[in-house]
Amino acid sequence: MTLDLPKLSGAVMTAEGRLADGSLAVTFAGTADSETRDQLEVITKQVHVEALRLKMPEVIVDFRELEFMNSSCFKIFVSWLAQLRDLSADSQYRIQIRSNPNLLWQRRSLAALSCFAIDLVTIQT
Amino acid sequence: MEHPYFQVSFRPNVRLVSTVRRFTEEFYQRMLGDHEISEKVALATHELLENAVAYASDDETGVRVELADDQLVVKTWNRTSPERLESLKSAIDEMNSAADADAYYQVMMKKTAYRTDGSGLGLARIRAEAEMAITYEVTTDRVCIQARTVVAPRSKEVAT
Repeated sequence: MTLDLPKLSGAVMTAEGRLADGSLAVTFAGTADSETRDQLEVITKQVHVEALRLKMPEVIVDFRELEFMNSSCFKIFVSWLAQLRDLSADSQYRIQIRSNPNLLWQRRSLAALSCFAIDLVTIQT
Repeated sequence: MEHPYFQVSFRPNVRLVSTVRRFTEEFYQRMLGDHEISEKVALATHELLENAVAYASDDETGVRVELADDQLVVKTWNRTSPERLESLKSAIDEMNSAADADAYYQVMMKKTAYRTDGSGLGLARIRAEAEMAITYEVTTDRVCIQARTVVAPRSKEVAT
């Protein structure tokens, strides 16, 4: 089983995916803002495609090293969850978000994301 | 040092927004010694400034962050089109008419989830996540958006 997900090594944001313990995990670091929005969208869409192709029960999204995310990038995750929610129950996977509780945006934005799709998202601090 | 503030105006450039956000956070962390307030004001600065940069119709946009009495206020300004002015006023009026900031944020998340242009979430995010009140002032084609929050007396003592 191989993962088709390009590694992103930009100066502003990095993203790297891997398969581990039956899950697809993707780790983000740096800043997600207007400069990196398009790259973030490509990565998240591909994570979704791969999670469905590999029939993953869970995707782990690691934000612990992500310093900041603007609302345009946040909306990418809202759209991802909306798309996931639209799938039939047997095609859905869960998303576990690993967060850094020391960052206000993570405490607030991820709580809002969790409320948006309470049955699909768990936040780990 | 009783009313610490800073003000920056620059040619609209989205790459500078994160730079200003980091400066804002560090400036108010040093001035107020309150990490949470500093992060809130940095978040508001980023979102407001990105909007100002995105919709500026000439070669200048600006931001001023100031501590006045018991309030910390972020102001951004730019010139823009009449259509954008109307849409901004309408968006802020609609948002402020909703009593519950978190519930309105969820409504906006649902409403914009399938939108492809912009996020449409920035103002609701400031109100819900940074717990800041948002108002606007319009003078002909110039708009000034303000986000404000109350600063605890303990925070102000560090600054003076």
